Amino acid sequence: MEGFLQNYGFLLVTLVQQSLLAYSLYFPLMAGQLSLASPGFYALGGYIAAIMATVEYFAPWRNALGWCIFPLEWLIAGIISGFLALLVGIPALRLRGIYLALATIAFVEILRVICLNLEITGGAIGIFGIPQLFESRWSYILTFGPLLILTLFFSYRLDRSRVGRAFKAIREDELAADAMGINPTRYKVLAFVIGAVLAGVVGAMSAPFLNTWNARQGTFDASIAYLAYVLIGGSRSMWGPLLGGALLAALPEILRPLKDARLIINGLVLVFASIYLPQGIAGAIGRIRTITARKPGSVRSPK
Amino acid sequence: MDAVQFLQNFLNGISIGSVYAIFALGYTLVFSILGIINFAHGAVFTLGAYLTYSMSVGQFGIGGLLAGCQIPFQFSFPLSLLFGAIISGVAGVLIERLAFRPLRSRGADPLLALVSSLGVALVTVNIIQYLVGSEIYSFPGDVYGDIKPAFMFHISGRIVVVRTVQVIIFAVSMLILTLLGYLINFTRIGKALQAVAENAATASLLGINVDRFILYTFFLSGFLGGMAGSLVGTSFGIAGPYFGVTYGLKGLAVMVLGGLGSIPGAVLGGMVIGLAEAFVPTEYNAYKEAVAFAFLFAVLLIRPQGLLGRSQIQKV
Repeated sequence: MEGFLQNYGFLLVTLVQQSLLAYSLYFPLMAGQLSLASPGFYALGGYIAAIMATVEYFAPWRNALGWCIFPLEWLIAGIISGFLALLVGIPALRLRGIYLALATIAFVEILRVICLNLEITGGAIGIFGIPQLFESRWSYILTFGPLLILTLFFSYRLDRSRVGRAFKAIREDELAADAMGINPTRYKVLAFVIGAVLAGVVGAMSAPFLNTWNARQGTFDASIAYLAYVLIGGSRSMWGPLLGGALLAALPEILRPLKDARLIINGLVLVFASIYLPQGIAGAIGRIRTITARKPGSVRSPK
Repeated sequence: MDAVQFLQNFLNGISIGSVYAIFALGYTLVFSILGIINFAHGAVFTLGAYLTYSMSVGQFGIGGLLAGCQIPFQFSFPLSLLFGAIISGVAGVLIERLAFRPLRSRGADPLLALVSSLGVALVTVNIIQYLVGSEIYSFPGDVYGDIKPAFMFHISGRIVVVRTVQVIIFAVSMLILTLLGYLINFTRIGKALQAVAENAATASLLGINVDRFILYTFFLSGFLGGMAGSLVGTSFGIAGPYFGVTYGLKGLAVMVLGGLGSIPGAVLGGMVIGLAEAFVPTEYNAYKEAVAFAFLFAVLLIRPQGLLGRSQIQKV
């Protein structure tokens, strides 16, 4: 068991972490908003945690709080990410579809260049030697695991709440939702902020886990990777991001024996999954269940 | 800033701006026909640069499968540039067949086209890395033949430097823009492309084979992407297989700045961003990479349809 955890513990935590980032994209998508800003908030959260854990100014806090500094880091990362999301979201969410995606790409890139040049973020080198919360890597499941359970519970409740229904109404038809008395801007900003807070907290948890933090943490490639997790897992099911995140993040590890060719295969998987699993894995499972559950002789419901 | 410095920055700006323009046009053509963004365009840019390099120089480095190989034949630079762009155009066609057509024929969510085109980009870039490694390739100074590398102009006791590469880049880009303008506005193919862009269903009723014109569009787009990649590569060197990613995003910024799907807009957007980057003061050079995105963000907030785009009417 110990050996297994030594070998695969890091991978397991990574899968949970990547799935969480997939959820940070899933919430805006629930309200029909394609936001690719998650890596930006993830990087921001990580920098906040890394700075609070290493900079001299916060030393008295660290001494006074002991391990409690870590939850405080998550909290502050979440609050700042949420606040920034509100600031960016209110003007940006007037944009629809691809325009919003492009605006969020621009946001991520601007943030990346700023972090690459500021002194406090360690410039191109980044921040090193971030103190660890646990001794072994796999123990971080104790922080990421509960966050994932919390996120799942939250999406389960959200799905059945007034807010969740408003999100879905906006996704299906924004004008109709507006006419029904739903304020689209308010709910779109809310969905965007929920995603940003989640990404920020995951970033803050990841900084001690990864030990070092730099500007490569928040890139355009990551945005598309998270989008792939959600779409290939299934963007209409609360289990989709978990399935997609876990499977796609594990893929490079599974393909490791192929060495240099593994990213080629990874790319092909993205292409073929988009073509053959248009509803994602969760959608495909749902379809199989509908087919097998159908009793012989029963009439197919018109769709 | 005095007049001489201004002139120098201006010349640098329009040279790089003209490449941005032809690169962004590759996105614009596809967007105007299909209404989607081809995220594999950055990979085609990389591909074109490597193709032109291998045909004109032909000496590979120390990494990858082709390490130390020497291609037995070599073309002159103009021919390599042309062939590189043509092969990139063919790659564009393959991308459409592999990543876009299957999704279109199934009526899939347009978001999936982002993922599948990025998948193709990942495949292309990693095949390149597999073959030639991730090192930096630079074109040798004598690749254009017997021309001196730069021209100096003495203006009121100061020197304005114009690199030969800059002249070549500007001239080639302008030539391409002129040819493309002619193709789109004055030929049957161009008219048909415009018809498909306006309304694909009506165009197909009028006897235009829409799928074929989509293939033409992807060929043109790949041609422009490969050409832009080669021109940037010969000016600044090829900084590894991923160098197209940054330019890919910058091209998106150019396209949106000009207006999604607007051809004159892409040209104007390229010039604006090229000039804006050239006029960034030296002490803020580190922030130069963010200029295009700052423009993109600002224009989306103030004028989402871009400088020359048509504003979209919300249909009920």
